[in-house]
Amino acid sequence: MKELRFRLILIIGALALTIYLLFPTYQDYRNNKEVAKNLETVEKKIKTSNPTITKIELKDIIQSKKDSILTNNQDFRDAREKRIKLGLDLQGGMYIVMEVNTAKLLEKIAKDTDEQFNQILSDSEKESKISDENVVSIFSRRMREKNVRLSRYFGSIREDDTQIEARLLEQEADAVTRAIEIIRNRVDQYGVSEPNIQKQGSRRIVVELPGIAREEEAKRLLQGRALLEFKLVKEADQVIPIMNRIDEILAGKQETDTTTQQGDLTEEQFAKQHPFFAVARLIDQTGSIADAFVQEEDRDLISQYLQRPDVKNILPDNLEFVYDAKPEVGEDGKKFFRMYAVNKTAELTGGVIVDAQSNIDPSTSAPVVNMQMNSEGAREWARITGSNIGKRCAVILDGMAYTAPTIQNKIPSGNSQISGMPNLDEAKLLEIVLKAGALPAPIDIIEERTIGPSLGQDSISQGFNSITLGYLIVAIFMIFYYRKAGSFADFALVFTILLLLGILAAFRATLTLPGIAGIVLTMGMAVDANVIIFERIREELSTGKTVKAAVEAGFKHSYSAIFDSNITTFFTGIILYQFGSGPIQGFALTLMIGIATSLFSQLILVRLIFDFMLAKGYKVNLG
Amino acid sequence: MRLFANLKIDFMSKRTFFYFVSTAFILLGVLGIFVKGINFGIDFKGGSEIALEFEKPIEITEIRSEVDKLGLGNIEVKTFGGSTGILLRTDLQEIPINLLPTVKSKIESLINNISPGLERKITESTNTAVIYEFPTPESADIIANRLYEAGFQTAEVSEEPTNTGVVVRLGISDWLKENLSEKYTDNPFTVLKEDKVGPKIGQELKSDAVIAVILSLLVILVYLGFRFKFAFAIGAVAALFHDVLITLGIFTVLYGVIPGLNLEFSVSIVAAFLTLVGYSINDTVIVFDRVREQMKIHKTAPLEDNINYAINRTMSRTIITTLTTALTVVILLIFGGEVLRGFAFALIIGFIVGTYSSIFVASAFVLEYSNRVKSKLQF
Repeated sequence: MKELRFRLILIIGALALTIYLLFPTYQDYRNNKEVAKNLETVEKKIKTSNPTITKIELKDIIQSKKDSILTNNQDFRDAREKRIKLGLDLQGGMYIVMEVNTAKLLEKIAKDTDEQFNQILSDSEKESKISDENVVSIFSRRMREKNVRLSRYFGSIREDDTQIEARLLEQEADAVTRAIEIIRNRVDQYGVSEPNIQKQGSRRIVVELPGIAREEEAKRLLQGRALLEFKLVKEADQVIPIMNRIDEILAGKQETDTTTQQGDLTEEQFAKQHPFFAVARLIDQTGSIADAFVQEEDRDLISQYLQRPDVKNILPDNLEFVYDAKPEVGEDGKKFFRMYAVNKTAELTGGVIVDAQSNIDPSTSAPVVNMQMNSEGAREWARITGSNIGKRCAVILDGMAYTAPTIQNKIPSGNSQISGMPNLDEAKLLEIVLKAGALPAPIDIIEERTIGPSLGQDSISQGFNSITLGYLIVAIFMIFYYRKAGSFADFALVFTILLLLGILAAFRATLTLPGIAGIVLTMGMAVDANVIIFERIREELSTGKTVKAAVEAGFKHSYSAIFDSNITTFFTGIILYQFGSGPIQGFALTLMIGIATSLFSQLILVRLIFDFMLAKGYKVNLG
Repeated sequence: MRLFANLKIDFMSKRTFFYFVSTAFILLGVLGIFVKGINFGIDFKGGSEIALEFEKPIEITEIRSEVDKLGLGNIEVKTFGGSTGILLRTDLQEIPINLLPTVKSKIESLINNISPGLERKITESTNTAVIYEFPTPESADIIANRLYEAGFQTAEVSEEPTNTGVVVRLGISDWLKENLSEKYTDNPFTVLKEDKVGPKIGQELKSDAVIAVILSLLVILVYLGFRFKFAFAIGAVAALFHDVLITLGIFTVLYGVIPGLNLEFSVSIVAAFLTLVGYSINDTVIVFDRVREQMKIHKTAPLEDNINYAINRTMSRTIITTLTTALTVVILLIFGGEVLRGFAFALIIGFIVGTYSSIFVASAFVLEYSNRVKSKLQF
C-alpha cells in the first residue's frame, strides 16, 4: 500500500483545496438567497405603502437597497470577492467597446487647417473604418503621397515627419489614458457592482458593467465630457457652525436646546446625540479645517441627511460637500473618504488648462505637478489666487476631489505648481485629471451588447441542466459499457468538474455561458482518456495477461496517445483564448482547465482506484 | 459489452471510394457556400440585433408584416427560444435619414399625450439623439420615465435633482421596440438581449477568425511533425482542413432549412470550429499512435497492413470517445438554450465528420504520401 500513499495524499490535498476554493461560492449563493428574501418583503411593503410607484422607480430603490446590503456586510463582501464570478451573459449587464476618435483629435490639435487638410483627414477617416491601420499612419501616408509635410499642420518646421507622427501617436495614447481615468472615476461613483474597465490595443477601451438596466444612463456616464472644476474650500469658521446645526437637527434638538452634556460618551451615546458627526468625523478636532472622514458605507447616509427638507433649509446656497476620489484605508481595512465643504460655484473650469506635467522638483526632490493655463484662464487665475491666499482650492473632476492645495501666493502667469503629493504616481494621476477637463478627442462606442437579467437567469438554469444531464448520460453510458471500471471513471469525472470549478475560482475567472458549454464538453472529453485506457486494457487481457499486468500495460501504452491528443486540443484552446473576447475566452479557459484537471483525475485518480482494488484483491471487471 | 471486438476490415483498399465521398461532400459544401453565401451574424456584419420575450405566445408572421411596415428595409424576424420569443436583426447602423422626421414627430406626439401642452425646447437634434429641455425637474422626470416605458431609450441629462434635460436616443432597436410595444399593448415584452456592433469590429473579427483557424492548423502541423513523421502531420492537417470545409459547407447549406435552428455564422461558431479542430485531431492521433507502435513492432510489414490493423484495433475507442463527447453536445443542443444551439450543432456535425476523416482521410493520406515518395517511413 505504501506506493499508493503519495498519490492518495495528492488526491486528498487536491480535494481539500477544491473545497476550500469553492466554499465562498457556496456562501455567496446562500447570502444572495437571504438578501433576495429580505428584498421581497421590502418590495411588498413599498408596493402597499405606495401603490402608484412606477416599475423603474421601484427597481431603482430595490437595486440600491441590494447594493447597500451587499457592500455593507463584510462577510458578504468577502464571499463575493472569492466566489466564481458570473459573466455578463449570465448575470445580465452591458459590454461596451469604445474607441478614441483620432480624426477629431487631429482636427483639434492641428494649426492653420485648410481645405486640403480636411479633405485628407476625412479620406483617412473613411479608410480607417475598413482597415487595421491607425488613422495617424493613414493620414501621414496620404500627406506624403500629396507631398505635404506634416509640419505644415503639426509641430514645428524643424521636426521631420517621423518625429511628428510619433508625437501624434503619443497624444492619441495619452487621450486613451485620460479617457480611462475619467470613465473609472464615473463608474465608481455610479456604484455599479464590480465594473471592469480595460484598455484594449492602443486606442480602445472595454467597459463591462454588470447589472446595468438603463443603458442610456450608463452610456452618458461613459461618453460625456469630463467636467474639471476648481472650487474654493470653505473656511472652517463658516462650515463648522453649519455642521453643528445639521447635527442638532438630526438629533431632533431645538435651536435653544442646551442639554448637550460634554465629556466622555460611549460610542452609542455619541452616535445618538451627534448623528452627523458620528458618520462625518472631523479630521481636526481643534476646528481649524472642516474636512471630515466619512466611511465608504456612510456616504449614502450623509446624502440622505442632506436631502432632508429641514436640513436643506439651513444649508447656505453656495455650499456643497464633495468627497475625495481616493479613499484612505484604516487599519481594519475600512475605507474612509475625506469630505470637503466647498463653494458650489466653480472659480474656473478645466477648459482653460493647456497642459499639465508631473515632475520631481529638483530643489526639494518632492513630486510636483506643473500646470499651464491659456491667457484667459491665467487672468482669472491671477485674480482668484490673489484674493484667496492662504485658502485651499479643490481640484474636482466630475464631482470628485483629487486634491485641495493651499494657495501660496498670487499666480500671475497661469503657470502654477501643485505640490504635496505623497509620490510620483499620485502626481501622475493628478496630471491626468488636470488634462481630463480638456479631453481633446471624443470617444465613440463601436460595440455594445446588453443582456437582460432574465435571459441570464434562463441561461444559468439551462447551463445547469445541461451539466447535470450531460453528466448522467455519460456516467450511465460508462457504467453500462465498462461496468465497474466505468464507475471509477464516473467518480473521477465528478472530481474533474469540482477541480475545474475550484481552479476557476482561484484564477478569479468569470464563468460565461460558453464557459458552461465548455464544462459540458469537458465531461464528454474527460472520459476519452479512460475509454482509451480501458479499451487498451481489454485488448491486453485478450492476449492472456493477468488483470494486474493488463492494467499496467493498458495505462502504459495509452499515455502517448492521450498526451498527444490533449496537447493539440490545449493549443487550440490557447489560440481561441487569444482570438476571442469575453464569453469566448470563458469557453477557452474552461476547455483548457478542463483538459488539465481531467488528465489529473483520469490518469492519477482512476489509476489509484485500480491499484487499490487490485492490491486489496477485489475483482475488477471491464464489461 | 464490446463493439467491434474482432474487426478485420481492409479499409485502405477501399480508399478511392472514400476519396470520392469526401470530394463529393466538399464540392457540395463549396457550391453551397458560393450559391447561398455564408450567413454572417452581426458579430461579423455589424448591425443591431434584439431579442424580445413576450408575455403570451405571438404569431411570427404577424410581427414580420408589422416590422416590414416600418420602412427600415430588410429586417430579419425569427423565433427565439420558444413561442414567446422573437429575434430581430438588421445590418443597418442607424435610422435612415428619410425616416428621422417620422421618428421625431412620434416622440413629439408621445410627449403631447403624456403632458398635453407642456412647454419644451429642443437643445440638440442629431440623427442619433434628441435632447429636450423641460420647464421643471418633475416634468422632465415624468417624460423620461414614460418615454422609457414606451420603448425609447431615455435618460436625464444629469443626475442633479435640478436637472430639466432629457435625452431621447434614436436607435434602430429603440424604434422597433417602440412600435412593437405600441402594437402589442395587451402582450408586453421584455428585452432579453440587445447587441450593436460597428462595421469595423466585424471586419476585424473576420480576419481574426481566419487567422485563428489557420494558426491552430499550423500549430498542430508543427507539433505532430515533431512527435510523428512529417507525412503524418500533413495527413492529420489535411483531414482537419477537410473537416472544417465540410462542416462549414453543411452548416451553410442547412441555414434556414431546419426550423428553430438559427445557424448564422457568429463568433461562437468560430469557437466551435476551433474546438472541432482541437478535438477532431484526437481520433487521428489515436490511430497514428497505434500505427507508430505497429511500425515499431512489425518493421517489415507493409504500411498498408499496419494502418489497417491500427484502424481496426482502435475502431471501438474512436467510436466510443466520439460518442461520449457527441452525447454531451446533443444535450447542449437540446437543453443548452437558444444561445448555444448553433454552437452545439456545428460541433455535432464537426465531430461526425472528424471521426470519419480520422479513419478514412488522415491515414489514407499517409499511405498515399508514402507510396508516392517511395522512401519507407520508419520510426
